Amino acid sequence: MQDFKKVGKKIGKNLLFCVILIILFAEVSKILENASMKNDNLVQSRNKSIFRILREPEHTIDVIALGDSLSYSSISPMELWDRYGITSYVCAQSGQKIQETYHMLETALETQSPKLVILETNAMFRGNPGLASMKESIEEWGNHYIPIFRNHDIWKSFIIDKQYPEENYKGFAFRCAVQPYEKGEYMQKTEQKEKLPDVVITYMEKIEKLCRDNGAELLLLGTPSPVNYSYQRHNSIQEYADEKSLAYLDLNLKLEEVGIDWKTDALDEGDHLNLSGAQKVTRYLGKYLKEQYELADHREEDFNIAWKKEMEEYRQKAEKHLKEMFKK
Amino acid sequence: MGYHTSLYLFVFLPIALLAYQFTPKKMRWLTLVLSGYVFFWMISGKLVIYLIGTTIWTHYIGIWLANLKMQCKIHTIGKEKQEIEITQKQYRKKERLVLASGILLILSVLAYLKYYNFFVRNVNVLLDTADSPILLQAKTLLLPIGISFYTLQAIGYMADVYWEKISAQQHLGKIALFLGFFPQIMEGPISMYSQVTESLWEGQGITGENLSQGTVRVLWGLFKKMIIADRLYVFVSAIFNYYENYSGVIIIAAAVGYTVQLYMEFSGCMDIIIGSGKMFGVTLPENFRQPFVSRNAAEFWRRWHITLGTWFKTYIFYPVSVSKIVKKWNRFGRKKLGKYVAKVGVSAIALFPVWLCNGLWHGPRWSYIFYGMYYFVILLGGIMLEPVKDKWIKICHINEEALYYKIPQILKTWVIIFIGELFFRANGLRAGWQMFKSIFQSFEFQKLWDGTFLTFGLDKADLIVIFAGCIVVAIVGMIKERNLLGELGIKRLWLPIRWAIYYGLILTIVIFGAYGNGYQQVDMIYAGF
Repeated sequence: MQDFKKVGKKIGKNLLFCVILIILFAEVSKILENASMKNDNLVQSRNKSIFRILREPEHTIDVIALGDSLSYSSISPMELWDRYGITSYVCAQSGQKIQETYHMLETALETQSPKLVILETNAMFRGNPGLASMKESIEEWGNHYIPIFRNHDIWKSFIIDKQYPEENYKGFAFRCAVQPYEKGEYMQKTEQKEKLPDVVITYMEKIEKLCRDNGAELLLLGTPSPVNYSYQRHNSIQEYADEKSLAYLDLNLKLEEVGIDWKTDALDEGDHLNLSGAQKVTRYLGKYLKEQYELADHREEDFNIAWKKEMEEYRQKAEKHLKEMFKK
Repeated sequence: MGYHTSLYLFVFLPIALLAYQFTPKKMRWLTLVLSGYVFFWMISGKLVIYLIGTTIWTHYIGIWLANLKMQCKIHTIGKEKQEIEITQKQYRKKERLVLASGILLILSVLAYLKYYNFFVRNVNVLLDTADSPILLQAKTLLLPIGISFYTLQAIGYMADVYWEKISAQQHLGKIALFLGFFPQIMEGPISMYSQVTESLWEGQGITGENLSQGTVRVLWGLFKKMIIADRLYVFVSAIFNYYENYSGVIIIAAAVGYTVQLYMEFSGCMDIIIGSGKMFGVTLPENFRQPFVSRNAAEFWRRWHITLGTWFKTYIFYPVSVSKIVKKWNRFGRKKLGKYVAKVGVSAIALFPVWLCNGLWHGPRWSYIFYGMYYFVILLGGIMLEPVKDKWIKICHINEEALYYKIPQILKTWVIIFIGELFFRANGLRAGWQMFKSIFQSFEFQKLWDGTFLTFGLDKADLIVIFAGCIVVAIVGMIKERNLLGELGIKRLWLPIRWAIYYGLILTIVIFGAYGNGYQQVDMIYAGF
């Protein structure tokens, strides 16, 4: 009986320790989350979208775009809104891993109920084999569900006032440099395919399920990028999309229709698009979305004051930069 | 899968602990062996065959040696003294041969995999100088993880059986457990068979006490590695990789930075390893004992990478010291050259192979060999100067325990350590020499405070954290060194204070750890050796 009491006391003690630890983690996580939400200058560029999407008025975004730097260089939500009235947000991160894509979507779905999720397909070729991907999956799970891990570094802002201010129009990166791509045709027709990493297949299933459960359609989108795309990649995605009955739009095969001119639209020799390239892609994409999906025009709704204000800023800046770009 | 990674800490270790606990006591050793092989396979794949091969070979040699000893005993029963001596001599010879072949085979595997290309490179330089048209071909050789560690353990076991310090183990599983216990596969500590095998074999259940003690030790290791070492890595790499651009105080900072990084990283990983062992109820030998309070290089090596030093002392230094050649020299030296010269000679003969092996053990690089020779010269110099030092202390009536004497001694040892680590880390011996020379060129003290240090990848906040972390480690080191908390250690403290320390430690690692966005996960340095 005494032994039983002793064991019970020990278990109770350990349990109490763990409960206090969980409370501490939750509280510190909350403090860091709140600080980051209030002032996203504390957050490094890569993670800004995580907090910014949560700051958008609830259930106002119809289209969520996910992916790596190709997404935030190619899709401009302000243009989509201005021309088609589509409310969208680019929840992208440089070098976004597929695990991050999944958790980013989870974050976005906390406050939004999009009709459509666009996944820029370059992220589907980023995946380590075996153990490395398992390690990444654990870490990303931890980052998402125990935010203290993801936001731990903001203490620097309190000690040395280190901040990361950055202009950002609904997740779009305003980049205006021009470094032409000059290596010619890059989508050489072939039957070959580039294998999708196993971890991508696993997480794609999770992303599809998440979209299904939340009533959102999923569109796979390849944005123009000679450095990152090839026909082999196109074939793999096409095969995957056919197998899963997903919509797939590869703009690398529609460069003429989009109007891409690699002399003026390339940011860095064919890796990313600049503002001019992004505008062309967004216009084409907007038209495609309007034709293919039932997306409402939100330009006249109540919450559009903020959008209008931001659009005005965006327009002025874009016009100024485009003028400068083409002067050169 | 390093011991500091999430995969080890949150997946592998907990699964291994659960599997161990749910296995019947008698079979727990098997769970540990299998966990070890899975761990090895996850890092080195099919190269696990080398570990299995070494295990079988070590076991076989042990049994062979034991059989020879048994046969010798049987053959000497009832015989005359002279006959016994002859029989014993014959068997001694056979045993020596078996031991030599046992060691030779596993050393050859290590030498081939680790040093073949180094040998080829150097022979090719010689052939090229001699205008030879034939050059040797380098090979792509994959090195199994931890080969330098388990090879030494296997040799130690064979030698211990040969010297009859232990009896040969009949059960292959015990040898497999000794060589393949997963927490120590990658970085040691290099254990002796008698130190760990029984507690490994015992299969005692996981207790809350061991689990909590082990966890605290793991956390302490993570503190050192993630808060200090991984931050310093950025700073140190920025200077060592572009050393041509720097001189004076920057090079000194790099040498000091690397020494601290290496200590925090290696001793931190050791804490994680020893903590992991503790969770299974296994007490692994300590590898560090506050090395930076050492008063000379010899003491430093008794406090730094202790198990490697002990191994070299036991299996190289002592056998050489009592070898016939050394005894002969000692007799000759004492007679003809005097006690002092004989002592220095004996020390030189016994220390030289120890430090050559120490350098070579770290890897196939001239800078490592230089590192070993550097300590050989310093230690031998210390022995040579001992009479002068003793005389000087006597004449000047110096109290050796007084701070005015102790502190300069410790500082002198620091200088020796920093110079050694400068050569150890440099990208080659030539680079090391260049860096050392550049210390004396354009010293520029003002670089310490003019912001130059903020251009090496760390900001002011990082430097503050490194500094604060080092102070915490120094305070804990001081408490340990002076045994201020006694045997019970932190357990002596009042529970709320103890818990506050645990929570503080966990939150400090989570908040100030160099991981995630903007940081690079740094591999364990000694796993590469």
